[in-house]
Amino acid sequence: MDTTTRFFEDLDRRGFEPLLVKTSGTLRFDLHEGPQTTHWLLEIDRGNLRVRQEDQEADTVIGTEPRLFGELVSGEENTIAALLRGDMTVSGDLRLVLQVERIFPGPPESRGPHHAFQRRAA
Amino acid sequence: MAASNTIRILDGNTFVVSEDTGDIEATPSEPTGLFSLDMRFLSKWVLTVNGERLNALSYDDLQYYEARFFLVPGMATHYIDAKLSIIRERAVGGSFRESLTILNHDEKAVDLEIRMDAGADFADLFQVKDEVLNKKGETYAEAEADKLRLGYRRGNFRRETVISASRPARYDRNGFAWTLHLEPNEQWETSIDVQTHAVGPGGRDLRMGLRAHGTERLALQHDLEQWIAKAPKVNSEHGRVASTYRRSLIDLAALRFSPLSLGGQTLPAAGLPWFMTMFGRDSILTCLQVLPFAPEMSKTTLRILAALQGTRFDDFRDEDPGRILHEMRYGETAAFEEQPHSPYYGSVDATPLFIVLLDEYEKWSGDVALVKELERECRAALKWIDDYADLVGNGYIWYERRNSDTGLENQCWKDSWDSLSYSDGTLPPFPRATCEVQGYAYDAKTRAARMAREFWDDPAYADQLEREAAELKERFNRDWWVADGGFYALGLDPNGRQCDVLSSNIGHLLWSGIVREDRAAQIAAHLVGPRLFSGWGVRTLAEGEVRYNPIGYHNGTIWPFDNSFVAWGLRRYGFAEEAATIASGILDAARYFDGRLPEAFGGYPRELTKFPVEYPTACSPQAWSTGAPLLLIRTMLGLEPHEGHLAVDPQLPVGMGRIEVLDIPGRWGRVDAFARGRLDLEHQAGS
Repeated sequence: MDTTTRFFEDLDRRGFEPLLVKTSGTLRFDLHEGPQTTHWLLEIDRGNLRVRQEDQEADTVIGTEPRLFGELVSGEENTIAALLRGDMTVSGDLRLVLQVERIFPGPPESRGPHHAFQRRAA
Repeated sequence: MAASNTIRILDGNTFVVSEDTGDIEATPSEPTGLFSLDMRFLSKWVLTVNGERLNALSYDDLQYYEARFFLVPGMATHYIDAKLSIIRERAVGGSFRESLTILNHDEKAVDLEIRMDAGADFADLFQVKDEVLNKKGETYAEAEADKLRLGYRRGNFRRETVISASRPARYDRNGFAWTLHLEPNEQWETSIDVQTHAVGPGGRDLRMGLRAHGTERLALQHDLEQWIAKAPKVNSEHGRVASTYRRSLIDLAALRFSPLSLGGQTLPAAGLPWFMTMFGRDSILTCLQVLPFAPEMSKTTLRILAALQGTRFDDFRDEDPGRILHEMRYGETAAFEEQPHSPYYGSVDATPLFIVLLDEYEKWSGDVALVKELERECRAALKWIDDYADLVGNGYIWYERRNSDTGLENQCWKDSWDSLSYSDGTLPPFPRATCEVQGYAYDAKTRAARMAREFWDDPAYADQLEREAAELKERFNRDWWVADGGFYALGLDPNGRQCDVLSSNIGHLLWSGIVREDRAAQIAAHLVGPRLFSGWGVRTLAEGEVRYNPIGYHNGTIWPFDNSFVAWGLRRYGFAEEAATIASGILDAARYFDGRLPEAFGGYPRELTKFPVEYPTACSPQAWSTGAPLLLIRTMLGLEPHEGHLAVDPQLPVGMGRIEVLDIPGRWGRVDAFARGRLDLEHQAGS
C-alpha cells in the first residue's frame, strides 16, 4: 500500500482529529499523473473525519502530483512551501488546507528539542 | 535601511519605495522598488522626457497608500526656466497605479518623447536585505501590443509584473513610450497600471479573494476614514500628544496586514519596508499596546496565531507542538526552503505572550467566547513551556536553535548575535535563557489560571497553574538576582552562571509581576537612574557595561516599544512618577520624528545631543514603535479594566497639561478619560 492510501485509511479509521475540532468542510485531493487523476475526498465535521475515493464537489480542491503528495503526508516535504512554490494548486477555501496541513507529520529526521540534561521526574 | 529621501507608499504587504522623483533604480545600497509577497516586482521605473531625466520640485505623500510628485525636465540648476511640468500621482492598493500629467507652459507647441524604462529583478526580500542576488530561475520580458510582461520562473514558481497604460503606447522589452505633440497650454494624461501576479500552475493567483478592503483609491480612503472614526479621540492641551496619537493611528492602519490564510482579516505587520509580514512577537506586543484603542486587532491576531500554532517537531522550522510562530514569508527563499519562514517558529516569547494577550483582551472586551474558543491552544502553549522549552530541566524557558544554518541564534526580542553577554563582555554558550521570557511565563501561568477558573471550568488546573507560577517566582528570585548590583541578570547559561549585566529587560519583569515586592524599588531606581535612563528613555544596555554602545542595536540604543512596556511595568508596581518620566521622555522624542517614533534611537545622554539620534538602519514606521505612544497614554492615564468597568488613575507630568481620551471601547461600552498634569518630575529625570 502506498503512503497516500495509508494516510487516508488511517484518517478514516481515526474518525476524529482533535486539532480539527473547529474545522468543518470538504477537501478534494486531485492527484494527477499523466492522463490519470486519483481523487480523495475528505469530509470534516468539527473534527469528525470521513474519507472517500470520490470525485465530488468540495469546498477546497487541491491539485498535485501523487509523488509530492506522498512526501507531504509522510513529512518529507512541507505543504506551505510547496504551495508557495506552485507545486500544489488550491482552489476554494485556502484556510481548510492550512488547517488540514497541521495534521501532517514533521520531517522523519527531525528530533525535536535537544534537552541538555536529563529531565527531572515529573 | 532606505535612505531618508526615499518615498514609501504601501497597502498591506504591497509597497513602493522610490526616489523623490518617483523613479526606481534599485541597487544593493539603494533598495528601492515595487514589492509584493516578499518579492521585488519592479527594480527599474525611470521616467524621461526627450531622453532627459526629471527633477523634483516637490512631492507629497498624501496618505500612506498614495503620493504625488511635481517634476520638471533638466538639472536643478536650470529648472526654473522649465516650460514643461510633469505630475506623477501614484497609489498602491492591490495593484500599483500611476497617472502621468504633462503640461506645456510654453507659448510654442512642443514635440515630446515620453518614456518609462521598466525592469524587474524579482529579488527576494531576503536577498535585497542581505544584498545577495544570485537567481536560480530565469527572468523574461515580453512586449505585447498593449502590455509589457516581466516575469520570473523557477520550476512551477512564477511571479509576473504586467504593465499597461490607458493610452496606446509602444511597448518594448525594456519599457514603453509615447510620442506626442502638445500645443501651448495643452495637457496630456495617461494612467499606468502595474499588476503583480503570483501565478500558480492553473494560472490562479495565490492571493485571490483575500483583500481586507476594496483596492480602489476611494475604498482605501473610506477604509482609513472609518478606522479613524472608530478609534477613540485624543485631545491634548499642547496638541503634541494628540498629533503623535493621530500619526500613530494612521501608521497602524497602514501596517494592517491580511495574511493569505485568514480570509481578509487583518493583524499588525511588523514594519516597513522589510517586515511587512506576520511576526508572532511583534504582532502580539503591538496588540497589547493598542488594546484600549483598537481591540479588534487582538482578536484576529490571536485567531491567526492559534490557527498556525505548531503541531509537530520540524527541526528546519524550529517547530514544536504548541509553539507560536515567529515569522511568515511568501517569497522565493521561503518557497524553496532556502529560508525557514514557511512559517518559522524560532522565538521563545511569542508562546507565553499569546496567553497574556488573550487574557488581557478578555479583561477589556469581555469576549469570553474567544477565551473558550482558544482553550485548547492555550493548554498546548502552556504544555510547550513546560515540556519543550525547558531544555535544561530546571524550570525555565531556554532556547537553542535546531536549524543551525538559517535559524535564529537569539530567540528573544533582542535577537542580534551579541545581545547577551556576561559583565566581562564574553558571550554565553547555548542553550540560553533571558530574564524577561521567564517573566512572561510567570504572567502566562497566572493569567491562564484566571481563565481556567472563570471560563474553562477547571479549578484544579487553575490551582496547579497558580502553584507553578508561585514556584517559578520563588525560583527566579533566587537564581537570577544579582545581589551586588541589586538587579536581575539579563540571562543565564546552562551551568547556572548569570549574564550579570544591567539591561532594560528588568522593566519587563515589573510588567509581568515576577519581581518580589521588596525588590521593586531597587529595579525602579535603576530604570530611571543615570546608567539606564538617557533623558529620552531607557537604554537596552546600561552605560558602563563592557558591550555598551550608544548605537549598539541591542546594546545601548533606546527602543520606544521597550520603554512603553517598562513604563507599564513601573505603573503596575506603583511607580507612577518613574513611569511618567519615561513616558514624557519618549513622547518628547516623538516630536523630533513628526510623531512617528523610529524602531530605535541612540542611547546618548539627552543633554549631550539635545535631539534623539535615529539608529542608522531603523525601520519606519514600525508597528511596535507606532504602538508605543498608545501604551504610554494608557500608562499615564492609569487605564485599567477592573471588575467590568474601566478604572482611570491619571499621573501626568506638569508639562503635559490636560489630556482627554474620548470613547474608549470595552465591555463597559464607551467611556471617556480625563487627566491633568500634576507630577513635578524635575527631581526625577536623570537622578
